[in-house]
Amino acid sequence: MGPHHPSTHGVCRFLLTMDGEVVVKAVPYIGYLHRALEKICENRTYPQCLPILDRFEYCTSMSCEYAFCLATEKLAGIQAPERAEYLRVIMLELNRIASHLIWFGTTSLDLGAITPFLYGFREREDILDLFEMTCGQRLTYNYIRIGGVSRDVPPEFIPKAKEFLDKFPAKIEDYVKLLNENPIWMIRNQNVGILPREMALSYGDSGPVLRASGIKFDIRKDDPYSIYDRFDFNIPTGKVGDCYDRYLLRIEEMRQSSRIVRQALEQLPSGEIKTKVSANFKPPKGEVYSRIENSRGEMGIYIQSPGDSKKPLRVKMRGGSYNHLQVMPEIVKGGKIADLVAVMASMDIIMPEVDR
Amino acid sequence: MEIAGIFKYLYEMLAKSGLPQLAVDLIALVASALIVFTFLAVTALFLVWWERKVSAHIQQRFGPMRTGWHGWLQTIVDMIKLIQKEDITPATADRPVFFWAPIIALTAAFTAYVVMPFGKGLIVSDLNIGILFIIAITTFTIISLLMAGWGSNNKYALLGGMRSAAQVVSYEVPMVVAVLSVVLFAGSMSMMDIVNSQAKIYQWYIFRLPFGPIAFMIYLIAGTAESNRTPFDLPEAEQELVAGFNVEYSGMKFAMFFFAEFVNLFTISAIAATLFLGGWQGPFLPSWMWFMIKTLFIVFVLMWFRWTYPRLRVDQLMEFSWKFLLPISFANLIIAGFMKYSRWFNW
Amino acid sequence: MKKLIDAIKNLALGLLTTGKHLGRRAITIQYPTEKWQMPERSRGIVTLLSDKETGKLNCTTCLLCERSCPTAAIKIVYDKDEKGKRILKDFIVDHGLCCFCGLCQEACNFAAIKLAPKYEFSTFEKEDLVWHIAKLQEIGRDVPYEKIERKKPEARPAVAKPAPKPTIAANPAETPTGKAHVIESGKADAIPVSEKKPKIVDKVEPEGEK
Repeated sequence: MGPHHPSTHGVCRFLLTMDGEVVVKAVPYIGYLHRALEKICENRTYPQCLPILDRFEYCTSMSCEYAFCLATEKLAGIQAPERAEYLRVIMLELNRIASHLIWFGTTSLDLGAITPFLYGFREREDILDLFEMTCGQRLTYNYIRIGGVSRDVPPEFIPKAKEFLDKFPAKIEDYVKLLNENPIWMIRNQNVGILPREMALSYGDSGPVLRASGIKFDIRKDDPYSIYDRFDFNIPTGKVGDCYDRYLLRIEEMRQSSRIVRQALEQLPSGEIKTKVSANFKPPKGEVYSRIENSRGEMGIYIQSPGDSKKPLRVKMRGGSYNHLQVMPEIVKGGKIADLVAVMASMDIIMPEVDR
Repeated sequence: MEIAGIFKYLYEMLAKSGLPQLAVDLIALVASALIVFTFLAVTALFLVWWERKVSAHIQQRFGPMRTGWHGWLQTIVDMIKLIQKEDITPATADRPVFFWAPIIALTAAFTAYVVMPFGKGLIVSDLNIGILFIIAITTFTIISLLMAGWGSNNKYALLGGMRSAAQVVSYEVPMVVAVLSVVLFAGSMSMMDIVNSQAKIYQWYIFRLPFGPIAFMIYLIAGTAESNRTPFDLPEAEQELVAGFNVEYSGMKFAMFFFAEFVNLFTISAIAATLFLGGWQGPFLPSWMWFMIKTLFIVFVLMWFRWTYPRLRVDQLMEFSWKFLLPISFANLIIAGFMKYSRWFNW
Repeated sequence: MKKLIDAIKNLALGLLTTGKHLGRRAITIQYPTEKWQMPERSRGIVTLLSDKETGKLNCTTCLLCERSCPTAAIKIVYDKDEKGKRILKDFIVDHGLCCFCGLCQEACNFAAIKLAPKYEFSTFEKEDLVWHIAKLQEIGRDVPYEKIERKKPEARPAVAKPAPKPTIAANPAETPTGKAHVIESGKADAIPVSEKKPKIVDKVEPEGEK
């Protein structure tokens, strides 16, 4: 299944050994989307690294920037002001909803139902309009900065965000009616690509894939960062670990994220949006690893700083899709080629995170 | 002014002109073939545009808008584009097989219209084995699929062709059995007789409970599988096999396959309209208009299916046909037989 | 049997959901004839802003934008006049390299550079994406912006200057890179300080000799 294929979510190549219609062995070949982002970051100052990190996983740019800022702020001992933290959480959760909408669209597209793709993107347009109103871009935001956020939200942001949140649950119900109990959808997804608990743990999977296999682990609750401990939300967990569980889990996560955004909008304090950071920002010598809960799993950034330089010595980016891709050959053995497509779509693997 | 009357008048004019009978018949046949061919070509063009518009409005977007009023010229423009494309034949392909596959597909698609009742008296030739003839001809498409898959010498195409052939063959059986229950009631396989036996609206076979709706549903589902449309479009699944059996075709040959698919779609809908919805029967409007309205309604329903449902996997597809549709269709046939024998609903 | 009824019901529900959309108005627009109104913060082409009354560029050649660009898309060519102030000669932005991050407009203290919400600038040749000062200023004429008022700093009382340390970069022959700008004194990255003995040349005048 070659690199140019409509459903490899980026550019990924699989070498499949087949027995008729059944997949006996699958070997993924990656590296087609390698852009040497980690090396580029070694030659950029810390503020200049942020546009680079935008492109690490462009479906959830805010999370990537935030992970980097979290790591740098830990290293340098900077605390962002309250309003900035709330704005960050709002943007992160909206980005999570947008990313899950992309997942929803591409999964249905891979399985043949073309219309939900466009419905998902229609919802996403509203979120992207909110982002564009605030920071100016729709995909690579460059909004979250070291010490806070770059600009305050314009006055029309809050009413528009509330309007979006008001009509979003009805839209999710629409999708649910279209696909959830649809018998064709169910037989394509149930008992397909079952990921056992132990395998998920040993391969280092995280995020919705791990939770669908029955392990209740969410970094927002178990290792809280930012101000997530002030919000009230549930962590959905699956039972069996097949594609259908992952699907239901992500739909529920979209609902929970909109809950968080609503609470954050209500509690939004006034105040500054950025702590002053010097123009020649040089964090002290040391190394730090910080992780956040991305929509695809655990996203971690490791920074090694030499101490007296404006540029980091080493930046390592860890994305959840890498581990999910590693576990894929194990769980598609014995299935058909159509199941490979379904599993890849439901694991929500995107290649920029794998290849960097 | 009945159109059938016009044709009769023309035929009589031709017969009176003094040519030998053979020549008159030959000219009449060729003329009717050309008329049907033109009509179908125009209909196929219209259907492609209609599909794009329906899918666009389901997805809340516009569809073709720039070529002509709301894009009605889009298909013609696409055809011009396809005609001027280079006709590539792969070097390792089996040449005669590769060449004849699209031609057979198109021929099989068009031949089925010899017995299609377009209106009152508008039928090219009212064979008394009408519906059997149509079923036999639509089976020819399987041969063309296999030829396309084999002749391309490409593993994707071969897989797609084999799957497609398997699918069409296994969905023929429930379709035929569903049609049989209608034939049982009508007492004849001739298309005109079937339509005439549905003279009143409550006599339409779709309303003759309990076998009517079930037969209609089975026929519709088997029909979507016959014409390789979602939810049964695995042979053409872009996401998995990169366009299946016609992956190596380009230019005019691809256009022929494309046309054959849409003509097949129209055939399935036309037969559904004739068998279950009363053919060209209807008040006020001319008969051919009723035929078109009913057929286009079924076409619309099939398009609606395509843009709503995901795709079935190939083994699930086979399972569905053999383990589910076939027993139901046989049960339906037995019920229809009982009804006919006991003259209960035989009004 | 119940499963069958459920299945048919759900299939019909799916059809209804898509069928609902048939009656609704499309949400897309016909692009070349209708265009979306972009928000004013939208980041598009790099433009140079000029003063509304005088028409002169606001740029003071402070070079902050050039330094903050992560992809080195901005190049500033300048001269130095007799007092040592920089005079802008050319401002080149390569839109093929630019990643539209907006770091330059944030670094600028004089409201001289802005990413306008314009996005239609495709060309046929890659070289046509490199824009010089005239075009950048022209495009920036109708871009609204808020002028930054900077107070002139008060004249500081004269303080005794400490003896200037001899720096390696004071010797022009040893400039490591051949670029147009001058390396700031004190930036000794290229040549390790410990290894070279500083050469005292005529330009350095210790305090007290004049």
